[in-house]
Amino acid sequence: MSNGGGESGSKHEQSQGKRKSGGDDFAQAIAKIAVAQVCERVGFQTFQQSALGTLSEIAVRYIHHIGKTAHFYANLAGRTEVNAFDIFQGLEDLGSTQGFLGASDIDHCLTSSGVVRELIQYVNEVQEIPFAYSIPRFPVVKDRKLSSSFLQIGEEPPDEHIPAWLPAFPDPQTYLQLPTRNERETDSETEKIELGRQQRKMEMSMLNLQQQFSGSGPQGPSSVAHGDNPKDKQAAESNPFLSEPLHFEEKEVSSVAVPAKLSKEVASKTPVAENCGVVNHVSVLQTFAPAIEAMKNKLCDSEEEQEKVLMNQRPAVQFKIGLGKKSLSKPLKLGPQHRDVEMISPWFCKDFEKDEKKRRAEKILKDSMENTQELAQL
Amino acid sequence: MNHNHQQSSDGRHDDDAALTDFLASLMDYTPTIPDELVEHYLAKSGFQCPDVRLIRLVAVATQKFVSEVANDALVQCKARQAAVVKDKREKQQKDKRLILTMEDLSKALREHGVNVKHQEYFADSPSTGMDPASRDE
Repeated sequence: MSNGGGESGSKHEQSQGKRKSGGDDFAQAIAKIAVAQVCERVGFQTFQQSALGTLSEIAVRYIHHIGKTAHFYANLAGRTEVNAFDIFQGLEDLGSTQGFLGASDIDHCLTSSGVVRELIQYVNEVQEIPFAYSIPRFPVVKDRKLSSSFLQIGEEPPDEHIPAWLPAFPDPQTYLQLPTRNERETDSETEKIELGRQQRKMEMSMLNLQQQFSGSGPQGPSSVAHGDNPKDKQAAESNPFLSEPLHFEEKEVSSVAVPAKLSKEVASKTPVAENCGVVNHVSVLQTFAPAIEAMKNKLCDSEEEQEKVLMNQRPAVQFKIGLGKKSLSKPLKLGPQHRDVEMISPWFCKDFEKDEKKRRAEKILKDSMENTQELAQL
Repeated sequence: MNHNHQQSSDGRHDDDAALTDFLASLMDYTPTIPDELVEHYLAKSGFQCPDVRLIRLVAVATQKFVSEVANDALVQCKARQAAVVKDKREKQQKDKRLILTMEDLSKALREHGVNVKHQEYFADSPSTGMDPASRDE
């Protein structure tokens, strides 16, 4: 036993041993039982677990140390196998801290060493107490069945660079199939990804379709608020959040009610015309009246339509976020927006066109009226 | 076995005879520390010997060492108990049991050159092993 500083070293070594073998608990437990038996014979009745653990650990280290020193002395004498004198020498080394009979004599013979005498005395005195349990031999070493080599099987190695003493390859079908299976696996994975993509595409197209329907219908564009496009800026300017809240009635202006009014107006106008002039002209006016009305309506509507666009954007903001995300991810979703923007601009164009048409119609009307006046004058 | 040294005198011859007798007697002697355990740890240390006597020799030596340490601890324990009994008579009955404690063990091991310093926070007060019901082996 080394003196003093062996404590930390011992713990370190023990922990290392545990890490290495891992199955040393069995030996430790046996050592504990043996040490407990020895302690019991000495006269102890009980013990603390920690004390027993420490003592058994030290006993194990004692054995280990004897083995090490004996091995060392055997090697020093040029032998590989240990004999009794190596052990005695090791015991003397270990007992040097305690001291033993005849330790001062350097040249003493090992057979007459105090250590040996004490040991003999101990064996003679102490009653023999065998270990409490029968122990199987340990550590159990599994018989490893090595795979037979090419030579043992009697096969020739498949290639020249493989020596015959190496273990033989397994059956070809066990490993030849492997790469293909791997490919299949990867294929299936890619297929899965493909399927997923296709599904997503399907969903996207469905979504687009939905959006197209909703965009073409009375429902406004689904997601205008995201200004990715310069064209969207128009819509962004008319941000429904920034715009003033519209009154219910403002929004509700019905295109159906207006023509009725106008038709009444026209109807009220027409008698004047009738009063003014000839039946022909009245018929002309009457024939043009619905067109004019329609144009007027369109004019009114064109202003209202803008508001409507605004109005229609409101429900679009409340659109489901999941759908919005999906539509964001793909440029395809711009389709309905573009369409809406384009839809808006043709409306304006149409309005202008209709303005011109109206002017022309009015010109014609005026001309006809003048003509009627001229006719009347004539 | 005897070729290592010269047998010049009768005394030495007696020693030789005693040693051979001792080694022979180990064949019949079963130490408390089992052979398998000793063999296992000797094999770990690089010790190679097919001779059962040598393994038993190591076992006996270890057993002797352990019993010496235990004896010293017992002496320590008895001395401490005597001191305690002097101080507190009422605890006399409780302290009758002989308990191997870390306190005594570390003192005994120090004499054998092993420096054991167990942590202070261990619940290793002398009263730990006092409860006979729970501490009975």
